[in-house]
Amino acid sequence: MTRDRATDAQGTTVGDGLVPSRFLCTGMSCAGDHIAPARARGRPYEFIVELDRLRVFSMGFLRHLGLAILAASIAFWANADPLAQCRLLEISDREGGRDCFRNLLTDPSPALQAEAAWALGDIQTANALFRSATASSPDDDAVRVRWGELFLSTYQVADAEALFAEALGINADNVAAKLGLARVALGRFEARSKQIVDSVLAGDPDHVEANLLAARLALEVGDTEAAQESLRAPLMAEDVLLRLEAMALAAAIDHILGSVPSAWETKALDIHPGYGELFETVAHFYIITRRYREAIAQLERAVEIDPELWSAHATLGINLLRVNRFDEGRRTLAKAHDGDPYNVEVVNTLRLLDSLDGWGLLADDDVIMRIHPDEAGALAGYVKRLVTDAVATVGERYGFVPDYPVVVELYPRHQDFAVRTSGLPGIGVLGVAFGDVVLMDSPSARSVVEGFDWASALWHEVAHVVTLGATNNLVSRWFSEGVSVFEEWQTGPSRFQPAETAEGAARYRAVPIGVVRAHREAELLPIALLDEGFIRPTYLGQVMVSYNQAGLVCEFIAHAYGQDALSRILAAYRDGKDTVGALETALDMPHHAVDEAFEAYLDDRFAGVDPSAYEVAMQEARAAATTDDWALAAEAARRAIAAYPNAAGNPSPYPLLAEAEARQGNQAAAVDALIEYWRVGGRSPRALARLAGDLDDAQRHEDALAVRRSLALTLPLEIEVRTRLGDDLLDAGKPREALQEYLAVQSLEPHDAADAHYRLARAYHRLNESEDARRHVLFALEIAPRFQDALSLLLEINQ
Amino acid sequence: MTRRTLLVVALVASATGIVASLGQAAEIQNPAATPLPEAKGQPQARMLIVTGLGGEPDYAQAFAQQGDASARHAEAAGATVTLLTEGDARREAIRDAIDTIARQSNETDKLVVQLIGHGTFDGEHYRFNVPGPDPTAEDLAAWLEPVSAERQLAVIATSASGAAQDVLAQNGRAVITATRHGRERNASLFGGYWAEALDAPGADVDKDQRISADEAFRFAERALAAYYEDHQRIATEHPRLEGDAGSFIVARTTPGEPIEPELLHLVSRIDELTAAIDELKSDRRVLTDDDYFTKLQDLLLELAKVDQELKVKRQDPPESDTHVPFLDDVIR
Repeated sequence: MTRDRATDAQGTTVGDGLVPSRFLCTGMSCAGDHIAPARARGRPYEFIVELDRLRVFSMGFLRHLGLAILAASIAFWANADPLAQCRLLEISDREGGRDCFRNLLTDPSPALQAEAAWALGDIQTANALFRSATASSPDDDAVRVRWGELFLSTYQVADAEALFAEALGINADNVAAKLGLARVALGRFEARSKQIVDSVLAGDPDHVEANLLAARLALEVGDTEAAQESLRAPLMAEDVLLRLEAMALAAAIDHILGSVPSAWETKALDIHPGYGELFETVAHFYIITRRYREAIAQLERAVEIDPELWSAHATLGINLLRVNRFDEGRRTLAKAHDGDPYNVEVVNTLRLLDSLDGWGLLADDDVIMRIHPDEAGALAGYVKRLVTDAVATVGERYGFVPDYPVVVELYPRHQDFAVRTSGLPGIGVLGVAFGDVVLMDSPSARSVVEGFDWASALWHEVAHVVTLGATNNLVSRWFSEGVSVFEEWQTGPSRFQPAETAEGAARYRAVPIGVVRAHREAELLPIALLDEGFIRPTYLGQVMVSYNQAGLVCEFIAHAYGQDALSRILAAYRDGKDTVGALETALDMPHHAVDEAFEAYLDDRFAGVDPSAYEVAMQEARAAATTDDWALAAEAARRAIAAYPNAAGNPSPYPLLAEAEARQGNQAAAVDALIEYWRVGGRSPRALARLAGDLDDAQRHEDALAVRRSLALTLPLEIEVRTRLGDDLLDAGKPREALQEYLAVQSLEPHDAADAHYRLARAYHRLNESEDARRHVLFALEIAPRFQDALSLLLEINQ
Repeated sequence: MTRRTLLVVALVASATGIVASLGQAAEIQNPAATPLPEAKGQPQARMLIVTGLGGEPDYAQAFAQQGDASARHAEAAGATVTLLTEGDARREAIRDAIDTIARQSNETDKLVVQLIGHGTFDGEHYRFNVPGPDPTAEDLAAWLEPVSAERQLAVIATSASGAAQDVLAQNGRAVITATRHGRERNASLFGGYWAEALDAPGADVDKDQRISADEAFRFAERALAAYYEDHQRIATEHPRLEGDAGSFIVARTTPGEPIEPELLHLVSRIDELTAAIDELKSDRRVLTDDDYFTKLQDLLLELAKVDQELKVKRQDPPESDTHVPFLDDVIR
């Protein structure tokens, strides 16, 4: 669907403008692109769990909101509005209601015709009719709002937003337009959605639609009391559709609180037995709290009582995929597509599933892996080891080791990962955990230079598997993230290993400078409200700050109350406690006191960290390096380290210090700087490669091997890196491990195939696996008969 | 014109066996190389390398480095190299350099012409960008016409160079271009990866310690594809190789070593065994796996033993005052 650009300059197009209609643009790369920038903005390090919060515009949610606004509009236009009559009739007699709408298609009012066409599912006609209606009544703000609602219901948010703004340009007091903008903001995580709703309610506290939206906003952050308060007026609304929506939200509250079965379900079904949106609404709140299996049960009820509720079919399909029920998910999505071919999430996901047909499934009792065939051979071994190590390590620390396999999917194309995660491209996250299903960018999707430490990210996600499993997914967002971040720091593959002599801030892993500043400027949220920092950030960078704050809170709790305290908090969540209850139960102190103690802890942790001095010193160090003033560069780099110890991000002062020392002939100091960098979690491939080489030069082969292990984990798809690690392992008397590296190399189809076979043959020979050794040396010599090393090995094998 | 011609040891070997050859330079600029008298009539490998206009300092520097690397490796592999660099690489200079080669070379020689830089295609003619008038592919073909060397290779590492393929094609001449056709007009990265191949032991996929033009092409082609994929860019160049480039050695992975005449029979045996292995590989489809690998192993074991014997004897060579040819010359 597209607005007519000839008559409406506010219409937008996808991509380069060559696509005439968004509804014709069903390719994975273009569908949904229009909302990508908002979603991607400023959240490069979110390893978040509930991507479903991105989906507030989607499917059933939109449909439900649309119905509410429709009901309001009907009431607004006239009590005897024929649309209202049709809608009411449809509740009791679906076919009769549809006939009623069909009759309205001949009404002289294009706006009414548009509503009828929309109700009958003819979106294109509705769009054309709304266009006619606005052309014939250019000052009619209400029609523009409805047209905007049509766009919103069909996932075209930018167009919807423009129409709401146009309506407000005509009539600044148009409440429906304001609420439309509030819903647009809601889907973009913008705090202004609440501000708009609050402003509407300030003028009219009983405004039904505003209260419904307020209830949703409250439920999204788990505030059931506020939601219940907001639903008081809507539950008594005269309009039956609004009342039904209020009942659905009330039922969702009951489910959140564990009061099931909900009496509201019975009441709603008494009014409208085919009201599938009831269960779809309940499912939505299960989804955003990561309880996918419960959501699936609700969605199955939704489509059972309303088989034509395509949005529910679509949501059901996507959530079946999230619990690794691939075949059912695919079938359900195909059905959803048959009913609503315009749903971009469905189209994208089906196309993605088609592209996965060639992917093998690597499975054992512990891990099930879906990895691109080109990468599977090189990654599977590392993924398996990381997952089993993480499950064992983190599981032991928190008293919950899953007895089910962890599913890991790695996507070489970030947009495929995004579609698999949310149905849409353009999300700014790197990995997600849906219970026991982990989806991630593969190491080839992003580079470590961009800050993507994939192994650490996988560790983070597996930690989510533990915390979600330990609490039946009842853990709060911030705590699950906090544990994952904390475990990355403490036990992950890039964990922090401070020097024994470290003092002051050097005792701790560095956090981004922005976090230190947020603490000093009192921008950190109280722990009880920390979830909001993830869901509705109020300043740029707050999501990043919230991740780190969550990790720091866990670090503080482990430091002050012991590691077991974290397990006690998990147990409290599992028992249904909210954050305040969980903290107070586990720590036996008021949550405000925890906040105060945490603040004091940060004061101490960040004591001596001087962001400004660090930045000035880094600038000086870099400038000195460009003029080859290496003495000054070294001095400035040391100052930077003193002002902000352990900074391993990019740029980091340690590699710079190493370069400066090496240029001055201080090789030992250069090596020390790089070792420090590696120990605090630095993973620049160039720095690690240099360190390994320097360690070899210094005859510290064991240390070099350890660094090369880190390097290979950082760059698992680099043939040279894996080959070199294999060689080192073989030299170190570890032929079994070397063999794994060489097998990984071979799977990457190296240009020098003879060399790859030769190395495999060497490893097999060292393992006394003669037949495999012979086979591979023959393969090598078949390619390169004059390969002298291989000829020698052949003789050795045949001795 | 900058002429860097120096003597190493000619690498050329006949298809059937052994040719010990010596080269000669008109101007010897490598003080480390000992001039030897010209062995008239012996096969020579000659190489003309031209680096064209860079246009921008970064390109100019890159082209110069690529030209230098190609020259250095070709010299080390035994070729007689003429290098024309940006300022001197005018149309007339290229023509004259080829004319000189044409006069010096004979049928048994090999010739490699490598152009590095920017190229254009106007829909009709490919042009290599140099100071002054640009030579076209037709010019190049015409200048090469009098060259009697029966084995020739043209490496056109420029944008739009695919347009030169058909113009330069002829019997006995392999043509490598950085692009598939003339419409691939973006600045080419192929030359950089070609130069990288010359330094990469992994480019020597048959492990004969020499990198053939075919091996360098395959290495560069793969690296180029990986570059575009890694950077998520649409590939704007698709290298193309037409003809047999396998017999042109553009680099060595180890220096050439002299071999005593008393050991030549071992080298001959290695050649025979290698040929037998090639023959066996061509028959693979008609053999069972067991048969194939049993026979392959037998041949390889013998080859390994001969190779070992050669190595042992070369560690303790007999005294001789006869001319010592290079291993390169006898292995092929």
